[in-house]
Amino acid sequence: MAAQGPARPVDDLVRRLASITAVTGLEQQMVDTLLAMLPGAKRDRAGNVVLTIGSGPRRRLVVCPADEPGYVVGRIRDDGWLTLRRSPGRISRLRDAQLEGQRVSIVTPRGVVPGVVAVRSVHLTRGREPRTGGFTVDSALVDVGATSKADVEALGIRILSPVTLAKGLHRYGDRLIAGSMMGRRAACAALVEAARRTDAARATLSRQQAVVIAFVVEHELGRRGLATLAHTAGPFDQTLLVGGGGSGADATSNWPELGSVAIQGLVGRYAGTPVETISLPAVQGLADTLAAWIGGTR
Amino acid sequence: MRTILPLLVAMPLAAAAAQDPARMRETETVLESLVESYGVSGMEAPVREAVRRLLPAWAKSQVDTAGNLWVTVGKGEPTVVFVAHLDEVGFEVTAIGEDGLLTVESRGGIFPRLWAGRPALVHRRGRPPVAGVFLPYDSAAASTGPTDSLPMRVDLGAAGRRHAEALGVSLGSTVTSPKEYVRLAGTRATGRSFDDRVGSAAQVMALRRMDPAKLDHTVIFLWSVREEIGLEGAAAAARALGLRVTRVHAIDTFVSADSPLEPQNFAVAPLGAGPVARALDNSSVTPPALLDSLVALAAARSLPLQVGTTNGGNDGSAFEQFGVPDVPIGWPLRYAHSPVEVADLRDVAHLAELVQAVAEGW
Repeated sequence: MAAQGPARPVDDLVRRLASITAVTGLEQQMVDTLLAMLPGAKRDRAGNVVLTIGSGPRRRLVVCPADEPGYVVGRIRDDGWLTLRRSPGRISRLRDAQLEGQRVSIVTPRGVVPGVVAVRSVHLTRGREPRTGGFTVDSALVDVGATSKADVEALGIRILSPVTLAKGLHRYGDRLIAGSMMGRRAACAALVEAARRTDAARATLSRQQAVVIAFVVEHELGRRGLATLAHTAGPFDQTLLVGGGGSGADATSNWPELGSVAIQGLVGRYAGTPVETISLPAVQGLADTLAAWIGGTR
Repeated sequence: MRTILPLLVAMPLAAAAAQDPARMRETETVLESLVESYGVSGMEAPVREAVRRLLPAWAKSQVDTAGNLWVTVGKGEPTVVFVAHLDEVGFEVTAIGEDGLLTVESRGGIFPRLWAGRPALVHRRGRPPVAGVFLPYDSAAASTGPTDSLPMRVDLGAAGRRHAEALGVSLGSTVTSPKEYVRLAGTRATGRSFDDRVGSAAQVMALRRMDPAKLDHTVIFLWSVREEIGLEGAAAAARALGLRVTRVHAIDTFVSADSPLEPQNFAVAPLGAGPVARALDNSSVTPPALLDSLVALAAARSLPLQVGTTNGGNDGSAFEQFGVPDVPIGWPLRYAHSPVEVADLRDVAHLAELVQAVAEGW
């Protein structure tokens, strides 16, 4: 591989968060990981991870979505094949098409089970009618190596087990990193890095201020985690959304408790694909920016 | 002319040897080592070296001018050839844009769409590969027609053509995606280039168990190059051997329809039911008498063997111009030429035993 620059703490955070499967509504592993990363953080009634700094009346909120669009096991066939259904929220056909002929991860209470999404062999299509229509989730048959429903269940797979493309991270170019949902995961990593500098933030925050740092669940499902946060922890004077997922204007009109809403994110390449790419120095830059925002110096 | 049934299971019971934990571990170790080597057609050197490292110490190997690897065992007639191919499907660089993006075209039969929007590796002779990504199809382009006909490009993160060239990338450089051998449930495994690393592994494992002093005839094991782009390596070996060869066995994939996605009118060789006599494909028809002999040999050794017909060509057919009968033997593979080929390790172990049995006893 081409030479890469020196690793920084935020690089490891990006790697760790981008490796976790957190399908909308089934974000448990991500939530547990974030709680372990952020001493003092708590889980709220929606399942959001919330860390509060300061106790002043002027409250600000910074949030990053913890979830991702994905799939769950919809059915286990008697012959051991799995079929899928989309998790709630908007999932494009383009995302469905990315499943064909790829390795997937099925999350079970015992760990991740690898599987593959079946694809026709190129040899056996010769001289035959071409496939009609695009590949959708309804075409997806997952092969975990099992030959019966009992085999599948013995692996710990159940209906509702979360399924995503296998989480591979890929470094290339000048400190670029690619992977599924990389923009969001990297933004959340930057926010974790910023939140870890709370001692510095406490020193600069005035007594009049408080900052709530949150990683919200079910963002792809009507931004439910954010809504709960607005209702339970608001009102806020100002909210900063990082990691994508909707516009600030929508958030303000839906939940006035959020105050004025701004969007901050990472500009990358190939968004919404398995090679969504961001620059690691840009993540470090975002972490610095967020730390300054949390400390009230920006 | 004899009718070949679409599929017969000559010996449905798995032989005990293939279930032996030590045997399964060896199978997995050899296969993993070969699967995780890269070798698009024409750039097979890393795979060839991996095979060499796995050979028994007594086996003296040679490389011919085409790049094929040879191990000759025993003396005298008849001369029997086994041939598995070293290469794998992939891409090659056909243009480097001023923007630093590479245009690539496929080497071998693949669905390019399965690589779009995936990590890429551009291979360099004698140096580690350069990482990049295959550009995703944009949704507008993807909705206007078959995506497999769209041009494929690779982004190395290079600032321009000169930067890409400075990384050691040139026209003809081969391109793949990173690959990994992954064990699935039971005795199944997945990865890319099982076609034909399984055949290559089976020949290695057969050789490890053979006693060359006990052979009463000549057996040549070949690991060929450039099979996926027209059986080129096998053709060179066939020309070199000419009329000396009595029989050839291509040890190559049986592309199986053992999947709900495939039409079920032929090629339905279930995974785990044993190797498959590839009785008819697009390049050869096994002489019925020899097919019967193979089935009888497998039965006598209590080795499972399926008989089937599939699509694709095989290296053994390159020998047929010299009147050499081709008796190809495969193993069932799902999703051939995709990033997620799936095989059953029991079939791999049985294939190795069958190769050994044929080499020693037929």
